[in-house]
Amino acid sequence: MSRVDRGCRVRILAAIGAAALVLTGCGSGGGGSLADGDLPDQVKVVSVTDQTGTTAYVGSSQLKGIELAIDEINSQDYLGDTEFVLEKRDSASDTQTAVSQATEALTDRNVSALLGPVLSAHAVAIAPLVERAKLPTVFTQSGSEGVVIGDYTYRATAPMETYFVKALERLRDQGARTVSVLYNAGNVTLAGLGEHTIPEGQDEYGYKVLSNTAVQASTQDFSTTATRIAGENPDAVIVLLVGAGNSTAMSQLRQAGYTGPVVGNPAAGAGNLAPAGAAGAGMYWATDFSFHQTAPSSEVFVEAYRAKYNGENPLNYAAEGYDATWMLAHAVKNSGGASREDIQRGLEQVVSEGFDGALGPVTFEGNDMRVEGVLVEWTGSEEVLVEESDVAE
Amino acid sequence: MSDFYFSNIVLIQSTFTVLLLALSIQIQFRMGVFSFAGAAFYGMGSYGVAILVLHYDFGAFSALATIVVICAMVGYLLSLVVQRLNGLYLAMATVAFVMIVTVVAHNGGTLTGGSVGLFGVLTPVEISVPHLLAVCAVVVAAMIVSERGAMGRRIEAVREDPELASAMGINVARYRKMSFVLSGVLGALGGGLNILMMTAIAPENIGFPLIVLALTIIIVGGSRSWIGVLIGALIFTWLPVVLEQVGTYQSIVYGVIVAIAAIFMPGGITGIVTDLYRRRSARSNADAFESEQRLEARAAEEDAAEAAELQAELASSTTPSGGSR
Amino acid sequence: MSQLVIDALVLGSIYLLFCLGMSISWGTIDILNFAHGGIFMFSAFVASQIVSHVELGLITICVISAVVGAVVSAAIDVLAFQPILRRAKNQRTAELQILIGGIGIGTIPVAIVQFYTLSEPFGFLRSTYETTVHSFGGMRLSSTGLVVLGCALVLTVSIAYWLKNTSHGLALRAIGVDSETAELMGVKRRQLSLLTMGISGGLAGLAGALLTFNLGAITAESGETLLIKAFAIIILGGVGSTGGAALGAMILAFSEVLVLRYTGGGWVDAVGFGLILVVLLLRPQGIFGKKEVRRV
Repeated sequence: MSRVDRGCRVRILAAIGAAALVLTGCGSGGGGSLADGDLPDQVKVVSVTDQTGTTAYVGSSQLKGIELAIDEINSQDYLGDTEFVLEKRDSASDTQTAVSQATEALTDRNVSALLGPVLSAHAVAIAPLVERAKLPTVFTQSGSEGVVIGDYTYRATAPMETYFVKALERLRDQGARTVSVLYNAGNVTLAGLGEHTIPEGQDEYGYKVLSNTAVQASTQDFSTTATRIAGENPDAVIVLLVGAGNSTAMSQLRQAGYTGPVVGNPAAGAGNLAPAGAAGAGMYWATDFSFHQTAPSSEVFVEAYRAKYNGENPLNYAAEGYDATWMLAHAVKNSGGASREDIQRGLEQVVSEGFDGALGPVTFEGNDMRVEGVLVEWTGSEEVLVEESDVAE
Repeated sequence: MSDFYFSNIVLIQSTFTVLLLALSIQIQFRMGVFSFAGAAFYGMGSYGVAILVLHYDFGAFSALATIVVICAMVGYLLSLVVQRLNGLYLAMATVAFVMIVTVVAHNGGTLTGGSVGLFGVLTPVEISVPHLLAVCAVVVAAMIVSERGAMGRRIEAVREDPELASAMGINVARYRKMSFVLSGVLGALGGGLNILMMTAIAPENIGFPLIVLALTIIIVGGSRSWIGVLIGALIFTWLPVVLEQVGTYQSIVYGVIVAIAAIFMPGGITGIVTDLYRRRSARSNADAFESEQRLEARAAEEDAAEAAELQAELASSTTPSGGSR
Repeated sequence: MSQLVIDALVLGSIYLLFCLGMSISWGTIDILNFAHGGIFMFSAFVASQIVSHVELGLITICVISAVVGAVVSAAIDVLAFQPILRRAKNQRTAELQILIGGIGIGTIPVAIVQFYTLSEPFGFLRSTYETTVHSFGGMRLSSTGLVVLGCALVLTVSIAYWLKNTSHGLALRAIGVDSETAELMGVKRRQLSLLTMGISGGLAGLAGALLTFNLGAITAESGETLLIKAFAIIILGGVGSTGGAALGAMILAFSEVLVLRYTGGGWVDAVGFGLILVVLLLRPQGIFGKKEVRRV
């Protein structure tokens, strides 16, 4: 080892050491934690979600709902002089980034609550951390197990299997005896439906599953399966895919000669079926929210959303984010304080009482949300309501 | 200081597990073996430890030790399987190996947790930064030993000129096999420690993105020495935090940085620093040489002047009759 | 069963169209371009942006996409790959750096498109082209599938002919065998390299447009999954052989279709990776491979 290299290394190590010292100097300042029962001027809430990356459209929609809620809470003086302040972190669809940002939030004693990420993979990594640190966290989407694990974790999205049954009921009403299934095994919610909910519903809803094809998240072409399904000639087809797969599968199913009804999932919304043109018409699915739904609290939300966002219609992710934020506001009001323990107590009350939110009348099973859900259908150019549950009031 | 530590503990942990990942690939590159198997061992390490802890009630240390041994053995077997491949073809084969590990993780049913992966990997002994630093210190010490002296030269010989090395009696094939075993050990350590601290692993955390991450670290940091890898690990763990300020353009900026580094910095940061140092010391050597020469020239001039004076004196003091020339 | 054959042929043709560009650049000027997937998708995106304002037909869209691909690819060659090659100390470091450079550069178009679309799918909604389905003898083939098949066939044959029988093609193959000697013999490496990368990019763009028509819509990440399959195909068929790429594409497509039909979708990707490993271990030069595999 030459003298040059050794000397060079010493300098590099010294530089790293100096940099480390500088970085430690800029630590986050820890303020005193809020005493129980205080209503401070500001309640700091952190949102960790995907504003960029592969799930950007989910996260950015959720954020729009969150920001609308915060505007309303503050402008309506819902908590008197106290204001909600939002800090937005972008987890960029990366688990480790999400975990790191959640860790920063929970070590900052000024942060009262966390509005959690949308991806299950992020949520299951964050849940044990926030539970241990006792930071009240409301997740949206994140449908897998291992998310709602204790007193401090809540979920503002009903698991899809709780309202998917509305689609199965319609299948039964339509007289479908045979069904073929195509689903994305890479998505935990859709895989759960494809592997459990649908096969288990055969007796109750009177259908028989002819074939069950699982594809990967990266699959873009479904012609082989479309051919097979068309050959089986089922009474109905259930297609559980995300994103562009919905329009591709519909096109290929129609091209393969299948003309019957198709049951989908909420990921077919947001215009994802438009590229299929007329071939997309006739797909219907159960969702936790549609901007058409007639529950009074939902209509109020849709109006406010359109007013704030230039006439745009909200997606279900926005409604979920909106309700998650309002849950926190109700919690603060209930408990009269904004410390982490206060908010947790307040949330306990919120989930035992339920409330009327953007998602309609909302109840909870444990800390997990339940909604009535609604059936929508794609006509080839727009989404319309098929039916809606009676609003129990 | 401690606020910064706890607030950023995930990033600090990640810096060192990523260091182990990148070293597991770099160690093979240093021996001239163009293989990415380290990323596969990292994935196997994470999943392996998770499976042992969740399904078989292993403790942290026993799970880690078991997986490291298993991956070392797999590394050896892999080295036998690919022994006739070299260059880009070896690289492709190891990439395929990494991807197959990912597919198995996706399709492993309840054993690997399918597409959600495994979570809740909590052990009675909580593994954290001190354990990680201890392991890294040992690894780095081993790296330092391997870069110096006779061992360092032998490794360089195996990389730069395998035929010559072989002619000199170095068993090149044995170094190749050893590189796979070491890669297995390092990758398994990195992956195992990672899952013990993060408590959750999913198929998208392993596989191709790890290869890309390790490569960018090695290229930007410098591929010759562990210091380069450490610099690269620091940069690429903390860069996203810095870039978050850039907002939604961050991934574009990231791609541009990697591209520029690949084009303009073939030796990485350590390469640039080494070059600068060499140039400056070469210049100062040259300066020293010049001034030495000038001193000598002046001394020579003075000598000559003295000699001339002496001669003049002699000439004026010598008698016509005799005298020296 | 025969419908399976048609489906596999169309799938294989899509893979082949994507691969042709990579096969050319890898097989002749030794550039393994990891940005190929990004170029593929980005060209289709630009075309879809134009189509959202102006109604256009199938051929126009394909031409636009191909031109964008060619320009982007040539730019990458000039700005990145050529400088790397100039500075590299030897062949091996050059390969590694082009690999990394390609990876880094490849993330840029993906990031740009993700930014504009928020990762939502995009397609050619306002094109004047309508898919029709042709039925014959109990089998079905969509018009888009027919176009894909036709393009793949025509392009593969043309490129094989060009490489073998024209002076440009000969020069390119000479560079592939021994670039220094070739330059001594008067082959202008830099210009030919630019030409090759341009053609490779143009093929990527064309493939992007056709795939978008075939699927209806694609996303920013669509190019990445195809990239690894392209490696599998080229390794299987042999680097440097156009016929090999065609055969490799069909073998991969048929295997995938069979695996999907008879087992389940989860193992489809494994087919490609498994093929890579098996080929490299048993016959590293691929089926028709001409380049020599370097030994230890």
